[in-house]
Amino acid sequence: MRLRMAARSVRGLLIAIAAMGLMASAEAQEKKIKIGVVFDLTGPLAGGGSELGYIGAKIILDHFAKTGVEGYRIEAVYADAQSKPDIAINESVRLLEQEKVDMVLGFFSSAQCVPVAARVEQLKKFMWMTTCISSAVFNEKGYKYVFRPQASGDQFGMMTMDFIAQNAKAKFDKEPKDLRVAIIHEDGAYGVDVSRGNEAGARKAGFNVVMKEGYSATAPDLSALVTKLKRAKPDVIFHTGYNPDITLLLRQAREQGLRFGALMGHGAGYGVYEKLKEGMGADATYIFNTDPISIWLANQKTMDPKLPPVIKMVGEEFDKLRPGVAIRSAHVGIGASNTYVFMSDVLPRAIKKYGGVDPDALRKAALDTDIPEGGTMLGFGVKFYGEGTPMAGQNERSFPVVIQYIDDKSSVVWPKSQAQREAVLPLPKGTTYSNQ
Amino acid sequence: MQAFLDIFDIYLLEAVINGILLGGVLALLALGLNLIFGVIDVTWICYAELVMIGMYAMYFMVQYYGLSYFIAAPLTILLVAILGAALHYLVIAPLLTAPPINQLLATGGVLFVLQSFATVAFGIDFRNLGIRLPVLAFGDMNFSYARLLSFLAALVGMVAVYLFMTRTFTGTAIRAISQDRQIMALMGVDTKRIYLVTSALGGALAGLAACLLVLQYDVHPFVGLSFGPITFLICVLGGLGNFIGGFIAAFVFAEIISLGGLFSDLEWGYVLAFAFFIVMMFIRPAGLLARRR
Repeated sequence: MRLRMAARSVRGLLIAIAAMGLMASAEAQEKKIKIGVVFDLTGPLAGGGSELGYIGAKIILDHFAKTGVEGYRIEAVYADAQSKPDIAINESVRLLEQEKVDMVLGFFSSAQCVPVAARVEQLKKFMWMTTCISSAVFNEKGYKYVFRPQASGDQFGMMTMDFIAQNAKAKFDKEPKDLRVAIIHEDGAYGVDVSRGNEAGARKAGFNVVMKEGYSATAPDLSALVTKLKRAKPDVIFHTGYNPDITLLLRQAREQGLRFGALMGHGAGYGVYEKLKEGMGADATYIFNTDPISIWLANQKTMDPKLPPVIKMVGEEFDKLRPGVAIRSAHVGIGASNTYVFMSDVLPRAIKKYGGVDPDALRKAALDTDIPEGGTMLGFGVKFYGEGTPMAGQNERSFPVVIQYIDDKSSVVWPKSQAQREAVLPLPKGTTYSNQ
Repeated sequence: MQAFLDIFDIYLLEAVINGILLGGVLALLALGLNLIFGVIDVTWICYAELVMIGMYAMYFMVQYYGLSYFIAAPLTILLVAILGAALHYLVIAPLLTAPPINQLLATGGVLFVLQSFATVAFGIDFRNLGIRLPVLAFGDMNFSYARLLSFLAALVGMVAVYLFMTRTFTGTAIRAISQDRQIMALMGVDTKRIYLVTSALGGALAGLAACLLVLQYDVHPFVGLSFGPITFLICVLGGLGNFIGGFIAAFVFAEIISLGGLFSDLEWGYVLAFAFFIVMMFIRPAGLLARRR
C-alpha cells in the first residue's frame, strides 16, 4: 500500500516537473523576435550595393543572434527583393503574414521603400529602413510604424551643392552665378529625390543650371545624354545613378569626349569603388561621392567608446566574406550601423520599457530614441521626427558627407568639421575628363 | 539664322552618327533572332540571354584564362552556336507542332533558367572586360571604335547571311522550309538537320553580338533585359524573317532614340520609338518592307 502511494507521489512529481518544463519551454519560445530582412540579392541592384548592405545588416544580426537581446532570441528571416518593387512588396507581406515576423528591416532601393512602407503601415506592422533614402517615403505621409535612421535623398542633393558652392570661388575662380552645373539622374524615386535636393541647393547657391534630366537606369544607350552634356558644357555634373548605368554613362562620356571640372556622385553605384575602378580604371580617381560616412573613416575619437570594437568586428567579418577589397564600401557600414542602432538601442527599450516586441512597443521605443552626435558608427545621432510632423519617422540628426576617391583611397572632404583632406578640384589637367 | 545654327550644330551631326552606330548594335542583335523567327517560326524569348552567356564566356576567357580577344571571340561564337543548337534540340524540337503559346512559355522558361544559372554560377557582380579601345575624333565629334566595329560586323554579318541564304543549297533549303514546313520533308530535305543548322547559325550570330557588346557594356546576369525587348520590336518592325527589313528597322529605331533624346529628354526618345512602332503596326502590320497586298 505504502509502495503504491510512494509510486503515485513520484509519478505526480514527474508530471509536475514535466509540466513546469513545458511551461518554461513555452515561455522561452515566446521570448523571441523574428526579423524579416529584405534586400536585393539578385538583379541589377544586388551588384549596385544592395548585397553589401545585406552583408552589413547580417553581420550585426548574427552578432546579436549569439547573445540575444534582453532575454529575447533573435531570429532573422531573409528575403530577396530581386531588384523589383513588386517582389519587395510581396516578400514583405509574405514575411509578415506567413512567416509571422515581428517586423521588417533593410531595403536598398527607394523605388521599393516607397510602396513597401505604405503597405507595411497599412498592416500596422513595424518597419526599419536601413539604406534607401527617398524623402517621398515619409513626406506628408504621417506614418506611425515606419522609421529610418538613414539620411534622406534631398539631404544628399543639398550636401553636394553646398560643397561646390563653398568652393566655387576658390577652386573654379567663378562666382556661383557663373558656374555651370548639370543635374542628371536615374528616373526612379531615388534619383528624382536627390535631384530635387540638387535643384534646391543650386537655387540657394545661385548656380546656373544648364541641364537637368532623368533617364532609365536600364537604358541601353546614353549617347544622346552625353551629346547634350557636351552641348551644355557644365563645370560640374551632379549625377545620381545605380550601376551599371554609371559605368555606361562614363564610358560613353569618355568615348564622346565629354569634359568637365568635377563629377559629384550621390551614393548607390558611386558608393561601390571596386566597381567604378573595374569599369573605368584610373578615371575613377577624383570622383566625388556623397553618402553617410564609411564607418571605417568616421572619427572614432569623438564616438561613443563602445562603438570602435563593433566597427572592428564588422570589418573583420566583412574581410572574411570579401577578402582583398581595396576600399570597404560605405554600404556595408550603412547596413551594419543602422541595424546596430535598432538592435542596441530601440529593441532593448521596447522590451524593458514597453513590455515586448509588438509593433506598438517597437514604435514607442523608436520614438523615444535620442542618440547624440557621435552615438552611431556613422557619426550622426538619431532622433526621429515625431508624429504629426511632415517627415514623421525620418531621423532628424542624420547627415551625409562628401568623399573623394584618390589613389584607391576614399577621404572625407566635406563638411569641413569631418574633412580628412583637401579636395582635388577641379579635375587636374591631363586627366581623361578634365576641361582644364 | 542663329536659331537655325543652334539646332543644326555639330552636336546634331554627332547624334545622327551615334544613332547610326547604335543602329549597328541593334541590327547585329536582330540578325540572329530574325533568322530563327523567319525559319523555325519560334520566338526565342531567351535570345538576349544567349548573348549574355556569350559575354560571360568572353569575360572569363580573356580575364581569367588570359586568352587574346581574337582567340576568345571565335571560341565564344562556337560555344553560343552549340548552345543555340542544344536549345533547339532540347526545348524547341519537342514543341515544334505545339501551339505557339507553349513554345513562347518554354523559351521564356529558358530565359529564367539562364538568368538564374548565371546568378548562381557567376554571382551578381558587374564584370568588365577591361579592354579600352581608342576613340575616333573629328573636330568636336568623337566616336567609339567599339561601336564602329559593331556597325561593321552587323553590315558584314547581314551580307554574309544574305549570301548564305541565297547562294548555298542549305540556305535555299532554310528559305524553303520557312515558306512551307511540311512540304519540304516530302521533297527529301532533312528538316531536322536544317532546323539544327539554323539554330546553330542563330546562336553563332548571338555569339558574334556578345563578342562586340562585351567591349561596350558590363556583363551581369540581367544584361539581357536591356536589349531583349528592343531586339524583338526591331524584328517585328522589320518583318519577321526579313533580314533587310530588320536591318533598316534597327537604324530607324536607333535614330528615333538618338534624335528624340537629343531634342527632348532621353526618355522621350524611347517613348517616340515605341509610339512609332505601334503606329507602324497599324499601317504596316507585316513590317516596314512588307509588300502591300
